[in-house]
Amino acid sequence: MAHLLLDSSIRLWVVLPIVFITFFVGVLRHYVTQLIHNEKKVDLQQVSDSQVLLRSRILRENGKYLPKQSFAMRKHYFNNPETGFFKKVKRKVIPKNPMTDTSMLTDMMKGNLTNVLPMILIGGWINWAFSGFVTTKVPFPLTLRFKPMLQRGIELISLDASWVSSASWYFLNVFGLRSMYTLILGQDNAADQSRIMQDQMTGAAMAMPPDPNKAFKSEWEALEIVEHKWALENVEEELMCQDLNFRGLFS
Amino acid sequence: MSSISELYDVCWEEMRDKLRKWREENYRNSEQIVDVGEELINEHASKLGDDVWIIYEQVMIAALDCSRDDLAWSCLQELKRQFPDSHRVKRLAGMRLEALERYEDANKLYDSILQDDPTNTAARKRKISILQAQGKSSEAIRELNEYLEQFVGDQEAWHELSELYINEHDYAKAAFCLEELMMTNPHNHLYCEQYAEVKYTQGGLENLELARKYFAQALKLNNRNMRALFGLYMSASHIAASPKVSAKVKKDNVKYAAWATSQISRAYQVRGCLPTSVGLHTIQVTFWPRLMSSNNCSN
Repeated sequence: MAHLLLDSSIRLWVVLPIVFITFFVGVLRHYVTQLIHNEKKVDLQQVSDSQVLLRSRILRENGKYLPKQSFAMRKHYFNNPETGFFKKVKRKVIPKNPMTDTSMLTDMMKGNLTNVLPMILIGGWINWAFSGFVTTKVPFPLTLRFKPMLQRGIELISLDASWVSSASWYFLNVFGLRSMYTLILGQDNAADQSRIMQDQMTGAAMAMPPDPNKAFKSEWEALEIVEHKWALENVEEELMCQDLNFRGLFS
Repeated sequence: MSSISELYDVCWEEMRDKLRKWREENYRNSEQIVDVGEELINEHASKLGDDVWIIYEQVMIAALDCSRDDLAWSCLQELKRQFPDSHRVKRLAGMRLEALERYEDANKLYDSILQDDPTNTAARKRKISILQAQGKSSEAIRELNEYLEQFVGDQEAWHELSELYINEHDYAKAAFCLEELMMTNPHNHLYCEQYAEVKYTQGGLENLELARKYFAQALKLNNRNMRALFGLYMSASHIAASPKVSAKVKKDNVKYAAWATSQISRAYQVRGCLPTSVGLHTIQVTFWPRLMSSNNCSN
């Protein structure tokens, strides 16, 4: 394995500037996203449906604390073949075509603008500005296949693939600084690119997956198979096997 | 009239932190909040930064509780100036109108909020409180039911509904509401205990057995719940005294009642005084009428 000694000015003028650039561009992206972000309008029906689903899930999990009759009553309310909520309620689902639905289109465009574009621009600039030399070494050995990807601009056949160029150091930073953003900008910040890569809308009981009917059907199935095993069957025996602990009662 | 900071020798940071603690733990000590908050606002508003707005809101609600309309009005003006189009501020304005008993104006304000934003739960709940304040409890119950049909997850609303039903002596429906609360908060001993009390009040052998079980559950969740301990004793002894039970059930319940008695004596010993049997009986007689009246404030 070749031991290369790199000029220490690489550390000063390449490694550190790339870190700072990535970090500040990320922070800038966060504030820009906040500025051009518009409130998602929530639909009453969606909120209501998501809360109903939550209630059904809680019934499945904690139904054992209720008396048998009450549990049966609620299960009946949800799952009765004729009048049960999950059987009777069918929501009209308008499939949201990404091309024609204007709000989703603008959201997508804004997302692209604030995230993908700066990454491409800065990646390209770094590749142009800091090319022709090796920047750093990754601590694990890599195969030869990684060479053209990670060693842009360095045409050396004999060089280990672990030595990488500045562009790959930039990409390493983009993903690595995620936790730094969480520290400084708080949770749920817009500079966190890997989260934006996911398409899902999250949030407990605020937004719904686009098809409530499917969600209803899966809840119905889950509720059908749940049995009621009363947790309070032997509660007196369990309680009375030892004296009560009165510590702190009269403090 | 000396100020709070002189009286208790605290600085403004401590006052602010105290207000935050009261806010986060939902205290309703309105007079204290008004005293502390008024001084904080008048003397130290500039030092508070962005905290000042939420303190305005907290002080305003406390001022409405204490009939201090002057203070409430000034807080409202500050908030309106800072957040001109906010629904939250509009709701506060509505609350002030309610405090002045101008219910129609308040209702109109809440309706305008709801027109703008149909999912706003705060405005809906204020409308229901107006009905309660006017004494129209059956309408309040009806509106609250409709509200809960849409927002099944609102626990505050379920609790409020259970209280309304208890006031109307409709114990079966109150039990249903408390079951919802028990389902979402299975480890909260207070809901178990309230549910057991409602079942006990409903009466009948089955309900007494359920009551006994849930009193036991409340005790299991919190060993120091004395009310549940007394409830366990009462329900067990009532079941044992009933003529319709089998011998085995009677024996079991006598055993439960005896255990409960021994635990109560132990509690008094811990406190430092030993009750006589007469004393125990007096405690029960004075204690349980609270159950029959409609105030189920959990302690």
